[in-house]
Amino acid sequence: MTDVREIESSLLDFMRREVFAPDLELTAETDLIASGFDSMSLVRVLLFIETSHGFWIPQGEINAETLKNIRSLAATVVRLRA
Amino acid sequence: MNLIELLDKSAATWPDKPAFIEGENRVTYSALATQVHSIAAVFSELSLQPYSRIGLHFPNSIAYVELTFALWKLNVVVVPVPVEGTDGEMAEIVESLQLDAIVSPTPRSNSIQVQPDCHLTRYARNPRASHHDLNLAFIRFTSGTTSARKGVALTHETIRDRVVTANKALEITSNDTVIWTLPMSHHFLVTIVLYLSQGATVVLARHVLATPFLDAVQRWRGTVLYASPFHYAMLAQDKSSTAISTVRLAVSTTCAISEEVAREFEKRFHLPLSQALGIIELGMVSLNSTDASGRWNSVGRPLPDFEVQLLSPDETGAGELAIRGPGMFDAYAAPWMPRELVAPDGWFLTGDIARFDGDGYLYLLSRKTAVINLAGRKVFPEEIEAVLNRHPAVRESRVYGRPHPHLGEVIEAELVLDGEASALDSIRAHCRAHLASYKIPSRLHIVTELPRTSVTGKIRREPVAAV
Repeated sequence: MTDVREIESSLLDFMRREVFAPDLELTAETDLIASGFDSMSLVRVLLFIETSHGFWIPQGEINAETLKNIRSLAATVVRLRA
Repeated sequence: MNLIELLDKSAATWPDKPAFIEGENRVTYSALATQVHSIAAVFSELSLQPYSRIGLHFPNSIAYVELTFALWKLNVVVVPVPVEGTDGEMAEIVESLQLDAIVSPTPRSNSIQVQPDCHLTRYARNPRASHHDLNLAFIRFTSGTTSARKGVALTHETIRDRVVTANKALEITSNDTVIWTLPMSHHFLVTIVLYLSQGATVVLARHVLATPFLDAVQRWRGTVLYASPFHYAMLAQDKSSTAISTVRLAVSTTCAISEEVAREFEKRFHLPLSQALGIIELGMVSLNSTDASGRWNSVGRPLPDFEVQLLSPDETGAGELAIRGPGMFDAYAAPWMPRELVAPDGWFLTGDIARFDGDGYLYLLSRKTAVINLAGRKVFPEEIEAVLNRHPAVRESRVYGRPHPHLGEVIEAELVLDGEASALDSIRAHCRAHLASYKIPSRLHIVTELPRTSVTGKIRREPVAAV
């Protein structure tokens, strides 16, 4: 089973590549919304999680807590996968 | 006529009413009009030629609106350039629509500062695009096949006609407060321009999360919501007790809504979602404002100003939707093709397969065209295939939309490779370099050959099943 660190790292890779501008110094603690994460970014990330982990995160799970940063998002993936 | 007249009239009628609210910033109609005229005065020093084409590369903001009206005042043709595009995609818009300049919030090489956070970059080019004796105001870039025509061109008069026609269904007045979430570079005319022409207040609330959006509705007593099914799906799953009882109309646009979202939204907020049919060549053709609860999957009865027919109907009555009416586009821009040649008898073929029920409500069933709708963003498979095919390891490709329960469709691609399967990482990197991120296929499938039609040998584009 993939652990939370691996999920965190794969989300970090994905967001660096496909969501944020290359010059943003993105870490697992970066505030996503403040960095310009918009609804199209959310579409991309939910699709990435679905493709790589095989399930869709219900949009009701997406709130200020779960989308705070990549760490909280990875924890959400682990919690919902269980 | 010039669309600035609509704003000036609103400023004279409702000078102290807020036109926009963005965060804590409120801009009245009077202040908005004053700012627009002052920006126009600065631009007029730059000797912009009438009907020159200027790209607007700005994020959602009040400045976006001010710049559009200021350029219109100077009879400049405004071309939205989406901020999410890559440099290559921007270059394609500049090239194919023969833009004379671009304005953006950040400086570029050779740009000149018009005002703080507004820089103009000119493109030296010869000859300039002709305006074909039309009072052009706006060109929306549409990327399509290499043979397709890019850009839909609209005059000031056409946009005014669209606004007047659409408001017969939307019934926006100065008592309305619209809560706005969508990108202005994709939605502007029968929305922002319409709201401003009627003295409504627009709250810029482009929140990705449900809670701040609902807070904005409550705080500003929103009466009209305009959003995509993806936004409504977020709201429908909100678990708070926040009520939005001030809202009289929630318009869902850009792609078909699922029954689950329609039902859950109505259950949560006691308000049905009204689906609208908007077509870039025509404006807003239809809105389900009369029976959104009972017929959640209908786009409503077509607006009375439009004539609608279904061509070559099958035994169930479903046929291709053809529409005739006011506000139809004036020309395709590149290469130039006037409306009279596209629709000689006034009928525009939409490419949508539709049917009517016994009470005249319209239902969209499928499309004849292959355009993919990802959570409301239109994506042309040919554009992505052209990028894929430029990669040295790709012999040919086929891009299609796969139905997705939450997003409408997602983008997938089949590839016939000349190289090794290990080239996939490099192909993905190539896509990232040349496509806006939402256009990157979420899955790449390696195949040995592509499905083709037996007669013409063209790539087959029939619908793909959901997983």
